Amino acid sequence: MSVSSETAVVLPAHLHARPAGQVVQAAARFQAEVEIEYAGKVANARGVLAVMALGATAGTTVTLRASGPDAAEAVDAVAAVLSAAS
Amino acid sequence: MTRFVGIVLVSHSAELAAGLRELLSQVGGASLTVEAAGGTDEGGIGTSYDLVRAAIEKADGGAGVLVLPDLGSSVLTARAVLDDIATPGVVIVDAPFVEGALAAAVIAATGADLATAVAAAEEARDVRKL
Repeated sequence: MSVSSETAVVLPAHLHARPAGQVVQAAARFQAEVEIEYAGKVANARGVLAVMALGATAGTTVTLRASGPDAAEAVDAVAAVLSAAS
Repeated sequence: MTRFVGIVLVSHSAELAAGLRELLSQVGGASLTVEAAGGTDEGGIGTSYDLVRAAIEKADGGAGVLVLPDLGSSVLTARAVLDDIATPGVVIVDAPFVEGALAAAVIAATGADLATAVAAAEEARDVRKL
């Protein structure tokens, strides 16, 4: 059975290179596919260039969506990385 | 223990390769093996067969090596080395130098295999930065 999960995160910092790398590290630990949506653009959370190319800036909101057996855990892990970005 | 795909950066400039290596370690994590093979044997602008070959041997931890040249003679030198060592686990990738290296390094640091790292680097050809 496929499970979906979604959450929104307000970014404390720009989603630049280092946090984007941490997002990939976090997302890769799960089977679920995680997507990040920002301003109408969607990036696979395992693609560091696509995540950076979202151009998401501090104070804005991104939406995380995951589907897969561990979707909820995957969304939580990526949300935690984004919430802690500096 | 996880074995990581090794990455070799081949550039005309030692500083360019070393600087990119530093960036990759910041974004991808310190667990990764990234070797810089930039410049000539004398430290000038150009490429060195011996430096590239040594870097590949050093980067090979058993999970394969991805070789990324910047342009021109970097490509030719990397190809010459690969022709001589002829190991299926060492591949040269056609991708943008900075973006391709970063995409490969970040995914390799998660323990991804060589084919996945190569695909990530090649995808960098199509990812717009704006």
